[in-house]
Amino acid sequence: MTVDELWAELVTTSLLGTDRRDPPEAGGLIGDLVADTARADPSTRMLAAVAACTAVRRAGVRPADPIDPLAPPSSDDRAECVPAAVERWHHIITSWPVLEDEWILTLVGRGWRLAAELVPPALHRHRRDPIRRARVLVAAGPLADWLMDHVPDLAQTPSARPLTSIEIDRLGELPELPVSPELASLLTRRGAEVGGVIAVGLEDRTLAEAHRAVLVNVIARCVPEGLPDIAEVLGAVDDRSAGFGLASVLADLALTRYRMLDELAEPPDAES
Amino acid sequence: MVWSVEQVEAVAPSPAAITGAQPLATPGRWFDVGADDRVIWGSFQGSGAEPYDTAVDHVGVGYLCTCPSRMLPCKHALALLLMWSRDLVPIGVPAVKVEVWIQRRHARAVQEASAWELGDGAGVNAEAAERSVDDEATTEEEPAPLPPSVGERDTARNERVERMFAGLTELDRWLDDRMRTGLADPALARYATWDDLAARLVDAQVGGLANRIRRLAGLVGASATWHDDVLAELGLLHLLSQAGRRLGSLPGPLADAVATTVGWQVRRADVLGGVPDTDRWVVAGRSDQRENRIEVRRHWLRGTASGRWALVLSFAAYQQSLNTSLEVGTAVHADLHRYPGPALRALVGKRHLDESAAIFPGDPVSGPPSGRPPAQSVADAADEIGGMLVAEPWLDRVPTSVTAAVVRRGDAWFVGDDTGALPILPTAATRGVGDRRNPRAANDPLTMLLALSGGGLVDMTLEWTPHGVIPLAVHLDQRSIDIGPRADISFVGAA
Repeated sequence: MTVDELWAELVTTSLLGTDRRDPPEAGGLIGDLVADTARADPSTRMLAAVAACTAVRRAGVRPADPIDPLAPPSSDDRAECVPAAVERWHHIITSWPVLEDEWILTLVGRGWRLAAELVPPALHRHRRDPIRRARVLVAAGPLADWLMDHVPDLAQTPSARPLTSIEIDRLGELPELPVSPELASLLTRRGAEVGGVIAVGLEDRTLAEAHRAVLVNVIARCVPEGLPDIAEVLGAVDDRSAGFGLASVLADLALTRYRMLDELAEPPDAES
Repeated sequence: MVWSVEQVEAVAPSPAAITGAQPLATPGRWFDVGADDRVIWGSFQGSGAEPYDTAVDHVGVGYLCTCPSRMLPCKHALALLLMWSRDLVPIGVPAVKVEVWIQRRHARAVQEASAWELGDGAGVNAEAAERSVDDEATTEEEPAPLPPSVGERDTARNERVERMFAGLTELDRWLDDRMRTGLADPALARYATWDDLAARLVDAQVGGLANRIRRLAGLVGASATWHDDVLAELGLLHLLSQAGRRLGSLPGPLADAVATTVGWQVRRADVLGGVPDTDRWVVAGRSDQRENRIEVRRHWLRGTASGRWALVLSFAAYQQSLNTSLEVGTAVHADLHRYPGPALRALVGKRHLDESAAIFPGDPVSGPPSGRPPAQSVADAADEIGGMLVAEPWLDRVPTSVTAAVVRRGDAWFVGDDTGALPILPTAATRGVGDRRNPRAANDPLTMLLALSGGGLVDMTLEWTPHGVIPLAVHLDQRSIDIGPRADISFVGAA
């Protein structure tokens, strides 16, 4: 009797109990071990056989026969985005989701491919939003479809609405964010000016926490070249002023956006 | 190693806490600020008349602040960490009170760990672990009791051995009853059947076996093959019970391994007093697992020179922090101190200076050196697993590394190559029955392994369990990606 056959017999006996069925006679080394048990009653012999058989089966772990490999996804020649961009994505999702659209549009626009480790969380995150999901599919390339074939739970939620033709046309456009008319001019001004206006407003309290959402929108959509200056000016706001806290937060946003765009600069191949 | 902003965010009790800390993270609002390789400190002038004194143990992860906040860590500690992560904290020498605090934490850690040790590398004492290791900041230590005399120690030890033997005898009697009445006995479906025995084993101070009994209760009815699983575990309990009653006649290392597995406590100081196993240890994989009310984190390390595996455990009760000092894909040059016997389990002792790693903010080279376990075939990996289980057949988890692809047969997933295939442990996600809150979790190890491999061969670290392997890490050309099961961040403070 092989070890596996003995084990099957032991399981059957264990279901009924040794009061109703004697344990199987084990041969070989396991049989010798069972014969060594001090008490000869069936339950003790059964326990000894189960213990020995379990130890042998575990220690003798053997792989199953080889299995044919999976068909791979189609190739994608785009370079995978750099690890720093992967880390930035996680930071953006946690702290600055307002930047997520720009992150993925920049990634696609500059010829990068979404890092493989981000494909499952990105697909999962946008199971219900058809626009953002479509962008993830473009960014991930053939890997996304391949993955969904094998992991159906990453597919779009059945209740999600389909894309409209207008939305399809505008997939590559950065969505507009609401900015109040009096601050709209900041979107096109130089960084130092934008930072200055916001910093002065925060210090003299004409801008406050109530303006937070619109100020976030301004920095998320202002001219990218000015972001370092904005971060610097906001970082220099007097730490005793009431607006210091909000200034620090906005400086972090400016810096995050600047670094995000820097990490997603053209891939080496595209530049050459 | 200086933390990244993301690591600071990970220890924050909520995103709002980080938002609240950001405005405070500016040097102008702090004085007497400094950091060394263990602790960061500073005083913050808040709205009150007196400044808040704040310190953060960035190695053992703990916080001290005199502010009235009940949040842990408070916004001042987070702000201090943020400044440190942004290289805004100078290197310095801590004030006496900070030095006393950090030394007290170290001493407390030694005491706490000795209370947590159960030895089997899997089970933990929930009651002991519920005592916080991080909240001692504002409490005074009680004076240490006088050490017991030699006679008292011998008496206590003898009493304990008697209790242990009585517990093992009772366990074997109980196992005998299970064999006689059979696994179809309806009593097995009642949790009390198992819990009563577990409670008696705790009384007998064989907590390691009590934990196994409680885990075993969860297997009843859990799958179509639960009878197989339960029977195998009953067999191992019998093996341990018999071995535990014959400790005196077993070879030394085996006796040590059995004793620690059944629950004989080993003091952390005794482990650290042993001969160190010094090597360049690659942090090959990590996995988190909830056991009752405790989150258990396993870090699997592999010696570059010795090729030996080691297991470093950390525990966290609700809102406590797990060990974040070992990062998958890095290597640490350190002394490991192993538990008695042929144990995988070890404690990290002295870390040696690695010239290529940055220690202080501002060092020109950032980050620890990278590392990865060696590649091997599936057949060789199975041999490696078998070798570890020969030494300790009762182990629930052992590590291995392999170069393999994800393959599929029917609904079952495997890691395989042309030498064979090992089944992947089915999870809620891989069975297609993900729960509502976490449907086919995006962070499921199999899903991540599929994405990272694209069906091709990759180097990976696996954790073997009796029911299948768990992918823990994928080792790419330039870096490693930690894909092991991760603790729920709403439960632990830093996961």
